[in-house]
Amino acid sequence: MQIKPILAALKRHKAGTVLIALQIALTLAIVCNALFIIQQRVSKLVRPTGVAESEVLTVQNSWVGADDATAASRTKTDLLALRGMPGVRDASFSNSYPLRGGGMSLGVKTDPDVKKPITGATIYYSDDHSIDALGAKLIAGRNFLPQEIRWVGSNEFDAPAQVIISKALAHKVYPDGSALGKPIYLALGETGGKPSTVVGIVERLQVPWSGNWASNFVEYSVLVPYQSTGAFGSYIIRAKPGQLDALTKAVPALLFKTNRMRVIPAERGVRTFAQVRDEAYKSDRGMAILMGVVCAVLLAITAAGIVGLTSFWVGQRRKQIGVRRALGATKHDILSYFLTENLLIGAGGVIVGAALAIGMNLWLVSHFEMERLSLLYVVVGVVALLLLGQGAVLAPAMKASRVPPVEATRSV
Amino acid sequence: MLKMTHLSKVYRTEVVETYALRDFNIDVKEGEFVAVTGPSGSGKTTFLTIAGLLETFTGGHYHLDGIEVSQLNDNARSKIRNEKIGFIFQAFNLIPDLNVYDNVEVPLRYRGMKGAERKQRIMDALERVGLASRAKHYPAELSGGQQQRVAIARALAGSPRLLLADEPTGNLDTQMARGVMELLEEIHREGATIVMVTHDPELASRAQRNVHIIDGQVVDLSEEPRFHAHNARVADA
Ligand SMILES: Nc1ncnc2c1ncn2[C@@H]1O[C@H](COP(=O)(O)OP(=O)(O)OP(=O)(O)O)[C@@H](O)[C@H]1O
Ligand SMILES: [Mg+2]
Repeated sequence: MQIKPILAALKRHKAGTVLIALQIALTLAIVCNALFIIQQRVSKLVRPTGVAESEVLTVQNSWVGADDATAASRTKTDLLALRGMPGVRDASFSNSYPLRGGGMSLGVKTDPDVKKPITGATIYYSDDHSIDALGAKLIAGRNFLPQEIRWVGSNEFDAPAQVIISKALAHKVYPDGSALGKPIYLALGETGGKPSTVVGIVERLQVPWSGNWASNFVEYSVLVPYQSTGAFGSYIIRAKPGQLDALTKAVPALLFKTNRMRVIPAERGVRTFAQVRDEAYKSDRGMAILMGVVCAVLLAITAAGIVGLTSFWVGQRRKQIGVRRALGATKHDILSYFLTENLLIGAGGVIVGAALAIGMNLWLVSHFEMERLSLLYVVVGVVALLLLGQGAVLAPAMKASRVPPVEATRSV
Repeated sequence: MLKMTHLSKVYRTEVVETYALRDFNIDVKEGEFVAVTGPSGSGKTTFLTIAGLLETFTGGHYHLDGIEVSQLNDNARSKIRNEKIGFIFQAFNLIPDLNVYDNVEVPLRYRGMKGAERKQRIMDALERVGLASRAKHYPAELSGGQQQRVAIARALAGSPRLLLADEPTGNLDTQMARGVMELLEEIHREGATIVMVTHDPELASRAQRNVHIIDGQVVDLSEEPRFHAHNARVADA
């Protein structure tokens, strides 16, 4: 409506205009990227693991003074005792579990003569109780049979005859969906090796790692019918409904009663799966909160800057506002003058800001593990900043609209 | 055109009430050129701001062009200011951020006039005050007399029926003042009603009618001027 004269007047106030536009631009660039990072972290935070998280308790165990044979027999005794507890639905023993933080990974191939594996995948030592103890869902094929389970030393891993794999991995190695019954090769040497037949597929099972670097194979898991005779391992105990809390005390008590020659670390030794998840994503959550705070602070500073500059301009222009009123401007005309002025400054700011946001993201992509910024974030950020500007300018603009026309006659 | 009866204006502050105008009566006919004189603080500017709908009044009646003004809301008052009234201030009151052209355009934009017509009227008005060549200049780049002529062009561009001028020559030297006065006379000849506050007796004498305000009231000049004139002659003698 009156864009031309507003622009003409802004040219006479370059410093303030440029300052606010730049502030808007920088805020937009940072907020877009920060929100994008927050969204990525949050989407990680809520990723399901495939575990019956509300029913699972994990216990980290290490045997003291046990050779392979005694460790295996002690573990078997433990498992029998755990499975016999009234509140326990099932229990199993493994080298790791989803979100644990540490575990084992191997390359997976379908052609043993190709050097490069199709993908990496994690290896979970399992028995015929593991799927039930984790609460994973077998969607095709069968569970391991008791006679297929082998007790192996920690350094004598070789390819098992049978494996159960996650659906995601099944689709990765056999994209046509025909993985069940087919062989896969675990990359233990450069080429060659024994085939492992896929006897079952579970719907979902995450790897032990939650870092960004693992996001390429976050659901590629292989269950092998092995139990470790090593001194270290984790019990995965699935509680009956409502029994989890009671088990957090009862399980370690029972284990020590069964055999005292063990260490269960005081910290992180006994954890419900909720705690496991909590600790795995601590830094992601912290990062998301930090980014959120940075965004809020930046937006508040920008809003305050707009309020401050506009208030200053309104004070400075009281006389000319009075003159405009005397010449026929309505209150609404004055209000819309300042809103339009802000919109124009904001438009300049967001154009520069959008370019900065994309540039900043490209830099992050090239220097860190970042994905390309979705343009939707830029669009949402642009709209949000323009609205923020309009909101910030509203109070001073209202004040301007209340300058009485008689102000024109007051001598300065 | 402009009729005030028993009008009063009170300025209230925490401590005092000032009667800027009291029992104020005036009737300006369509097409008249009235000069308003009076001592400082007598209420001349107050009268003009009320006449120009820049301010409300406390009591009495004011009819502008037959309309009882106290009934109007803020938007209606803005519209009347915009369409019927042209203002000329002592301090010129050009908008410093806008060049001459954009200054003259301000009231026309508030009227919602189309671009082509605006341009025509702006150039005509600037032509008239002899400043068409300065359209791109900013107020700060003009002399006082030139600024006041721009202000007149701005008041003229909207073809107002009523022109209100508060000491339009107060900040100008005699020669520039004469130029401004000639312009106002020309505008008056074309049919506008003009009310001008001035301290300059020479300018006042060129108006059709003089209204004298003392202490917020109009003093009847139908008797007194003769009296003064008589005295003056006596003094001369
Ligand atoms: N906003 C205001 N608040 C309080 N009192 C005011 C206000 N405006 C004017 N007055 C008072 O009203 C009276 C008339 O003032 P006004 O400005 O109309 O005088 P004037 O005749 O224009 O004087 P001058 O010739 O000096 O311009 C003065 O006593 C002045 O102090
Ligand atoms: Mg005055």
